[in-house]
Amino acid sequence: MGALLVVVAFTVPLFVELRTVLSWVGVELTVLESVALAAVAIAALLVWALWPESDGPDSSNAG
Amino acid sequence: MSNTYLDQFPAEAKVVRAAFYSSFFALAIGGLFGIVQTLHRTDVYRFMDSADYYTVLTAHGVLLAITFTIFFLVGVFTWAVTTSLDRGVENLRFTWAWYGLMVIGTAMAAIPIFAGFTDSIDMSASVLFTFYAPLQGHPLFYLGLVLFVVGTWLAGVDWFRSWRAWKAEHPDERIPLPTFMVLTTTIMWYIATLGVAAAILLFLLPWSLGLIESVNPLLTRTLFWFFGHPVVYFWLMPTYMMWYVMLPKFSGGKLFSDPLARVVFVLFLILSVPTGIHHQYLDPGIAEGFKFIAMTNTMFLLLPSLLTAFTVVASMEHGARQRGGTGYFGWLKALPWRDPVFTGMALAGLMFAAAGFSGMVNAGMNINYLVHNTFWVVGHFHLTVGTAVALTFMAVTYWFLPQITGKALWSRPVALVQVVLWFVGMTFMSNAMHRAGLLGVPRRTAEPQYEGVTFEAAVGSVGELNAQIALGGVILTISLVLFFANVIATGFNGRSDELPSNGYADALSGPEDAPLVLDNLKLWTAIAIVLVIFAYTFPLLSIVQRGGLFGPEVITFPVSLESLAPIAAALEYGGLATVDGVASAVTGALEPGRIAIAEVVR
Repeated sequence: MGALLVVVAFTVPLFVELRTVLSWVGVELTVLESVALAAVAIAALLVWALWPESDGPDSSNAG
Repeated sequence: MSNTYLDQFPAEAKVVRAAFYSSFFALAIGGLFGIVQTLHRTDVYRFMDSADYYTVLTAHGVLLAITFTIFFLVGVFTWAVTTSLDRGVENLRFTWAWYGLMVIGTAMAAIPIFAGFTDSIDMSASVLFTFYAPLQGHPLFYLGLVLFVVGTWLAGVDWFRSWRAWKAEHPDERIPLPTFMVLTTTIMWYIATLGVAAAILLFLLPWSLGLIESVNPLLTRTLFWFFGHPVVYFWLMPTYMMWYVMLPKFSGGKLFSDPLARVVFVLFLILSVPTGIHHQYLDPGIAEGFKFIAMTNTMFLLLPSLLTAFTVVASMEHGARQRGGTGYFGWLKALPWRDPVFTGMALAGLMFAAAGFSGMVNAGMNINYLVHNTFWVVGHFHLTVGTAVALTFMAVTYWFLPQITGKALWSRPVALVQVVLWFVGMTFMSNAMHRAGLLGVPRRTAEPQYEGVTFEAAVGSVGELNAQIALGGVILTISLVLFFANVIATGFNGRSDELPSNGYADALSGPEDAPLVLDNLKLWTAIAIVLVIFAYTFPLLSIVQRGGLFGPEVITFPVSLESLAPIAAALEYGGLATVDGVASAVTGALEPGRIAIAEVVR
């Protein structure tokens, strides 16, 4: 959980600067659009990280 | 049964505790002023007059950049010397004496600063952290600074006494790494503070007392930056020490290289001082060649910083692999991210990397012109002292508190959230400050908007940048509140016997691998002095030759509104009188010509 918290925090500078980077290729985001994009990305990250691992037949061989 | 620092050195633990609490007190007040000025400047919430902004800014700068950092430093250095030499201080009364001197100095400097908020007390020192002439503070402010610095000098004497006593008993042993770091940093501090001591004792204090009529502002500025840049390393060296001797321990491993760490501290001793003129690239009166030398020295300073980045990351990787981490980057997952001490220090180091890049822009003579005196610089030092240093100090406090109080930390989850919030808040705030600086938005002003001047953002708007700064400031304030909640609540905890032992990280490559010459402090001190002489003799001589030791006659600006009003009136009257005089003179001069032309035409 600690690592996940840090990864979520690390998305902040990425999305703050993403707006500038995208403007170089002609994509202009508003603040709201940037916030929405960041929220979707963080939500996807949390779902990926917190989704329970499947109990399929291969799981016993994993790692 | 625990074996904390308090158990090993109960008397010294009290001194360290007092130093830390003094540091936190300064952090609380300085932080409060931080949010006040953030909200004022961004025009989000204003409850004071803009004239008071400069008093707030002075208190914010002095309390955080000097008091918070240096009180914490003396606590950490006392811990480092006693722990690594495994002996108490030589004379505890002497130790308390220098601590007391620092407290008295702080109080004396703070009184005139805070008096600036009220008209009922006839003193003020709203001269900002840099106290540039012709801004003039009350003599008590300068005296306070002098006592504070003398306190740190005596602290250095204390650490050297400990080392010499230890050396007499261990003549053939290498200086333990933490003590080596303390000694090199202290020598650098002794050299650096000669500049500010000269500026205050020879010029600013006699001037504020009325003993001399004027000063040479360029000379006092140059002497300030003689001290002002190395003071940055005075904050950074205890931070580096924590990264070198504690972060590997928290990562679960060992320091990658003791010799490399010694090389880094020697380089900082040599190179920290002869660089100050890079703060004065836009000062007229200093030749470009001298500025170029300062830039070259500054660029050499990147070397120890890059060595540190390599050594610290290598040490973290070693720790992660000891914890079972594998792969090129997979080891990162094995690091103790739940530990607020580790996470706070790691995030501080990450932010310092960003600060290094903006610092290179500041250091480059040509590109500096783009950002000089803009908000960019404020963004830069909020990443260095405001994050690399402050966040490391706060994070390592969560390890030190149990060591010096014998009490378990109140809440590790709250501590973890606190350090992450600091990272997020500073990301918002410093990013927007850097970007605003690129637009030319000035620093050191309560009113960055000017009539007829529009700052145009490349992306978004200036209003959005201001909102981002205010948001960052609010998050940072919440982070500070959580920090103090943890510190105070820990104080109310009962004593615990389940605390980790005092100590620091071992090294993979130890002192036996370091060339003996690295411990030759006399040699490095001599080289440092020679470099300072090379870098400063001719600029200082040139400044004195051009402007005089005590400067041309300058108008003093005592920082109080009562005195400003008559000065403004005098200037206005004088200005109008001058314009009238010039107009009459021009008319008078033209009159014979007009008559002559009229004669010719006729």
